[in-house]
Order: sequence, then C-alpha cells, then structure tokens
Amino acid sequence: MSIVHPNALVDQPAANPKLRPAAWSRFARPALGLLLPLVVAVGWELAVRLGLSNGRLVPPPSVIYATFRELAAAGDLQRHTLVTVERVALGFAFGVGIGTLAGAVTGYWASARRVLDPTVQALRAIPSIAWVPLFILWLGIFEMSKVTLIAVGVFFPVYLGVMGAVISVDRKIVEVGRAFRLNGLQMVCRILLPAVLPSYVIALRSGLSLGWMFVVAAEFMGASEGLGFLLVDGQQLGKPAQILTAIVAFAILGKLTDWLIVGLAAPFLRWEDRFARDEEH
Amino acid sequence: MLALEHVGKTYPNGTEALADITFAVRPGEILAIVGGSGCGKSTLLRAIGGLDRPSTGRILLDGTPIVAPHEKIGIIFQEPRLLPWLSIADNVGFGLGGLAAAERKERIAEALARVGLSDKARAWPRELSGGQAQRAAIARALVPGPQVLLLDEPFSALDAFTRNDLQDHLLDLWSGARPTLVVVTHDVEEAIVLADRIMVMRPRPGRIFTQIAADLPRPRDRQSEDFEELKKQVLQALNRSMERDRARDHAEATRTREIRPAL
Repeated sequence: MSIVHPNALVDQPAANPKLRPAAWSRFARPALGLLLPLVVAVGWELAVRLGLSNGRLVPPPSVIYATFRELAAAGDLQRHTLVTVERVALGFAFGVGIGTLAGAVTGYWASARRVLDPTVQALRAIPSIAWVPLFILWLGIFEMSKVTLIAVGVFFPVYLGVMGAVISVDRKIVEVGRAFRLNGLQMVCRILLPAVLPSYVIALRSGLSLGWMFVVAAEFMGASEGLGFLLVDGQQLGKPAQILTAIVAFAILGKLTDWLIVGLAAPFLRWEDRFARDEEH
Repeated sequence: MLALEHVGKTYPNGTEALADITFAVRPGEILAIVGGSGCGKSTLLRAIGGLDRPSTGRILLDGTPIVAPHEKIGIIFQEPRLLPWLSIADNVGFGLGGLAAAERKERIAEALARVGLSDKARAWPRELSGGQAQRAAIARALVPGPQVLLLDEPFSALDAFTRNDLQDHLLDLWSGARPTLVVVTHDVEEAIVLADRIMVMRPRPGRIFTQIAADLPRPRDRQSEDFEELKKQVLQALNRSMERDRARDHAEATRTREIRPAL
C-alpha cells in the first residue's frame, strides 16, 4: 500500500467524467439484450460444426435459417403466417371490443359490477382451453371456433385491465370534471379515457400476448393452415427445424405486434410521470 | 350576491357536519372561513360549489338556487388537480368549451401571462413546481370569468415563502374583475391578509361562531401592529370556538374514567 500525498488527490483535474458518448446509450444498451441469445446461437452452431452434437433434435441456427428460407421461397411460410395473423387479428378485435365495453361498464357502474363481475370472474377461473371441445361442437372445426377461442383469451386481461383502471381513476380529477360541468360523454372523453389510457395499453399488450398463445392452441385442434399447423406438422413428420422455424416466426410476430401497440400509444402517453422514464422495454 | 339560508348537512351515517348556516357575501367581497379541523368548513365550501348537496336549507346565487356546479362559480382545491395528460395551456383552457380556437388561445395566453406562466404553456403538469402548479390551477379557475371563486385551503400545501407570494398574487388577480372570493383556511394570517371579513366556525356540528370584520387598508403589512392586533382577536375567537368542544371532550373523558373502576 502506498501513501498518497493529500495534495495528489486534490490536484486531480476535476473535469474528467467517464467518457460516455450519446451513441453508447442509444445503440449499445439495446444491443446488450441481444448478447445472450447471440452467444447461445453461435455456441450451438459451433458445437454442431465441431461434431460435439449431431444437432438432429436441436438443429443449429444455420439449419433453422435454411428451413426458414426454404419455406419462404415456396410461399408456405407467408401463407401460414397470414392465416395465423388473420385469426389473431380477428380474435383480438372481438376480445378487445367486448372486453373494453364490459370493463368500462362494470368499472363505471357499481351496480353493473355487482351483477356482472362475479360471473365473469367465475368464467375466468375456467382454463380457456377447456372450452375448445364445446366451441368445436357449437361453432364447427373451422375459423369460427378458433377466432372465438382467441377472443376469449384476449377478453379477460382486457376486461380486468379496463375495469381496474376505471375504478381507480382519481376521484379528485373526476371532481374537476364535475366542477367544470362536464356531461357524461364529455366526462368519458376528457377525463376517464385519458386517465385509463396507460393501463389500457398494458391491458392490450397482455391481451395480445394471450391472443398469440391461444392461436397456437386453436391451430393445434385441427387446422390445415397456420403457424400452429406447421408446429404439429413438424412434430408428426419429425422435422424439428420446421418447428423451430414456426417458433421463431411466432417470436418475431409477437414482438412486432407488441411494438406496434407501444409505438402507436407512445404519442398519447408522453405526459406520464413515470418511474424509469428512459428504460424502454 | 351569494346567500346561504339555514344550510345544514347530515351524512347518511348520522354525522351532522353543518347546522343552520346563514350568511351572505356581497359581490366583490372576500370572505375567509376559519375554524378547527372538523368544523365543516370544507363541507360548506363544497356545498356552495355544488359538488355536495346540503341536507337542509338553500344556497342562492343572485336568487338562483345552487344544486349542481354552476358556471359562475369557480373552485380552487387544496391540490392543483391539473389533468396530467394536458399541457399547462390546455389545462388552463379546460373550462373554455365552445369558444372559437383563436379566442380560446388568446384567453389562455392572457391568463398564463397574468399568473406568470407564459413560458410553461407547453410544459406538462409534472414539470411544474407546487407553487407553479397552483398558479396554473388559479388561472384555470379564473379563465371562464367566474362571479364567485371558492378556494379550499388553496395554499396550505406550499412552503411559507411561496404561500405569501401566492396570497399577494391572488389579491392582484382579484383586483381586476373583483369576483367574490370565499376562502377556507386554517391559517389565521392568510385569512387576515386576504379577507374583508373573517367567519369563525365551531365544530360538531359546524356552525358560525362569530364574524370579524377585517378592514385594514390594502395592501396589508403582515408586520404591522394592526395586523398583529387583528390576528390576536381572531385567534382568541378561534380558541373560544373550540372551548365548548374541548369542555365536552373533557367531560366525556372524565365520565369514562369514572366508569372504568366499576368495570
């Protein structure tokens, strides 16, 4: 241990903060999140190339990519993706529509909540997949039963999110609306809607992720098209690369649509007084 | 003229918050309502603002009964209660429905200038200090040109310096259109700085205990002897207003003590 003269510390130039160009936080920080998957992918590729594994059950990235291109070149990937996206979009639209309406009504009127909410909560306790046989009996094996299942999955988080958000709107803010003599519609548009928007976006995002979950379940139960069909098909024909291709497609679509919601909502949420403002998802 | 006739308020649980309140406020007069906590002064203000209905009696503005929030009555709450999703300019213009965009913009700019927040027009509420936010709330209440402005402990959440500053500022704003002000406060000094008349209330149920005229010349010097004298007078009245209540508390406490040995 060396003895440092007191002055040596004082004489240090004060203005030497750690160099931190803006570019670092702009690009490198998000890139940090890619580090782990990249290391795993490269590691597995190397392991297969070096003969440490035959990669038959877990194909290396290069094989998955090749399958991806193969399926895309034949147009299969696009066709299946389109079908799946259509189902999710339809189911999401119905689920969000009904969930928003029901959540708003039960959140706003306590009497409606007393009548409706217990039933909805009881239905929520049923694992949604349990409805599948019934939906097939009722609605047939084709699109209708699939879209309904997805809509059911989307409904619950949206309903819960909207109801909770409406209930917890600050009474003091609502009173401002009353003091300025807003009528019912104005109260909804100028006070309630903006107040619930942040929670609504979160509810939509959880609804959407459930939508993607349930489309797989729906396509498992007998589909001839769709990414879920690619999964089942890959299993039955023993093609793990096809399964992984479909999984990667789901991951990409899920993330993209989630970004879409966040991106569309962002301009309306700039006012938020948030903890961790600059940390994006 | 704002007039209250035998106003009483009893909550559904049986608590009597106000009983037989009768008084009138002249146009342009500043009335301060002081009283210990629980004397119903905020309840009274909310009734005048039309936010709560009194159980008995009537509240009249120029002869018209107030049963709901009235366009000629503005309210400023203890907290600024700005809408966090609107810019300061849009918050200030919140009560300006049905105006042409250009006129609306002009009135907002004028109001912002009067409260010294022109440079904050495009800021979000979260970016303002407590004092600035309350100034924006004052501007929001003043913009529609109310005939009566109700203030519910408007500056109690602010530090002493900002509070004095805003009291002077409020008087400045008042001196323009001279609306009737009814200020509820627990700060005797604030009451004397602002008011022409100070109404002392006593609790359980809230009633008018006494009214004291505050006719010191304006602007009022917080350090002057007259100010101190008046302050003493109001504080004494406030003390006496709570004496009866304290005596009752004392009697109740004694009674409990007497019962206890028997148990």
